[in-house]
Amino acid sequence: MKTWKKFAHVDAKTVDEAASILRAGNATLIGGGTDILGAMRFEVLPEYPEVVVNLKSIPGLDYIREEGGLLKIGALTRLEDIAKSDLVRAKYTALAEGAHRTATPHIREMGTISGNICQLTRCWYFRIPDNRFNCYRKGGKTCYAMMGDNRYHSIFGALNYCVAVNPSDTAPALVALNAKIKTSKRLIEAEQFWDMVVPGSTVLASDEIVTEIQIPAPSPGVKSSFIKFAIRKSIDFPIVNCAAMIGAGDARICLNAVYNKPYRATEAENAIKAKSINETNADDAGAAAVASATTLPGERNKWKIPIAKAMVKRAILACS
Amino acid sequence: MPEEQNNKSKNRANREGSGSISRRDFLKDAGLAVSVPAIGSVAATAETASAEAPASPETAAQSAPAKPSPDLTAIELTVNGGKYRFAVEPHWSLRQLLRDEIGFTSPKDWCGGLGACGSCTVIMNGRPVLSCLTLACECDGAVVETAEGIAKEKHPVIQAYINNNAFQCGYCTPGFVCTAKALLDRNQSPTEADVRDALGGNLCRCATYQRHPPAVMEAAKNLGPK
Repeated sequence: MKTWKKFAHVDAKTVDEAASILRAGNATLIGGGTDILGAMRFEVLPEYPEVVVNLKSIPGLDYIREEGGLLKIGALTRLEDIAKSDLVRAKYTALAEGAHRTATPHIREMGTISGNICQLTRCWYFRIPDNRFNCYRKGGKTCYAMMGDNRYHSIFGALNYCVAVNPSDTAPALVALNAKIKTSKRLIEAEQFWDMVVPGSTVLASDEIVTEIQIPAPSPGVKSSFIKFAIRKSIDFPIVNCAAMIGAGDARICLNAVYNKPYRATEAENAIKAKSINETNADDAGAAAVASATTLPGERNKWKIPIAKAMVKRAILACS
Repeated sequence: MPEEQNNKSKNRANREGSGSISRRDFLKDAGLAVSVPAIGSVAATAETASAEAPASPETAAQSAPAKPSPDLTAIELTVNGGKYRFAVEPHWSLRQLLRDEIGFTSPKDWCGGLGACGSCTVIMNGRPVLSCLTLACECDGAVVETAEGIAKEKHPVIQAYINNNAFQCGYCTPGFVCTAKALLDRNQSPTEADVRDALGGNLCRCATYQRHPPAVMEAAKNLGPK
């Protein structure tokens, strides 16, 4: 087994302390560690972190509670705890299901919700060991997937020249549920949280730390759902996943693993909003969602388009 | 065929001179023979409970440096009921600590540290976790249980795995056993769907998958009064 290169390890006591270590230089955060430790072991990142700052030593960041019409989830809450929570399962079904379909039981027992939304892309050119492809996401000037093997890549084009996809299963659920993400500096709408930056996948500043997820309680009669297509039922990252929240004359539908960030399917939302949920309408909404989808050179990712359509359709039907 | 192999190894030993290592010793040293005792210990533990770690808790505590250097973190953890004190480097994994320092060799490496196979599963503070993706220095105060400990306490899951023949080569079995035991600790009467869901992160290259759910269901039945 490849072992890690040396690094220093600090147990942070407060969020401010962790942020100050991040400001001091080449440091990275560790929560569950399932993403960052893999990336470090295979030296995926252009810069190997000198300091790893442990967030698990900060007390009071692991909770699920309802407060003032909001569901509040602490940044260090394990995915399995969210998936098993009766409260989340009953009222925020899309998030419970998204957390439950993430990776494997072991990774859900270790991985945190904040780590899941901040995880790096799984693009195989980005993830290749020893940082062998200096792509746009690493500050380079080439996207190797664009002309290479892009069978799992974006069907809605590039963002800042990068055609990788966001692999999170909880991210589309948070967008569909209209969540807000509280950080050490501000409150960010879930929809605005992701971006293509070097080398991360969020709009967070280099010393900004997610502290809480806030989700407004859905009004009565509103239902949410999450559906995922992957090669295997367990373990695998999504080929396409979709979360929807429909009811009370409104609809929010979000696809993921189809674009550089979670893709809000506004066309599908408009198509289903005022209509009743049935097979035909859901099918139309699915078609609307992928109306603007395109393939990448070589058309290797063409197969994802009908899957995305079916995912939207099934997510809508699950909200009936 | 076995004779031929024996002859071959004899020849080789002769060639290398009487004072040199035998092929068997070489394999042992190279760590290739690790999977053999693993099968043996899992299969035999129903009777013999041979879960003693090569490094006993006391000696490990003595061997830990009194004053750790700035690079080292002093940790104290409980593994299979024994208390261990270690000074660990930040880049050590829990798997490395358990195998190389303490001597519990049941957490296996298969996927190379990607978190994709579940072979290195141990139970830490009641959760089944991947020891290859856990930093040893973050395990201070942790209570860890490996397949050796599960065998030692004669947990019904071990006998159920033997009865159902739920392994072939046995390499992935410690991971499966840990995952199954963690499930049974939380849920004493799981449905088959629960079992399949819980074991979803363990890979078996011999593909004995269909044997695992009945084995875990049998273990749940034999757990005794609930």
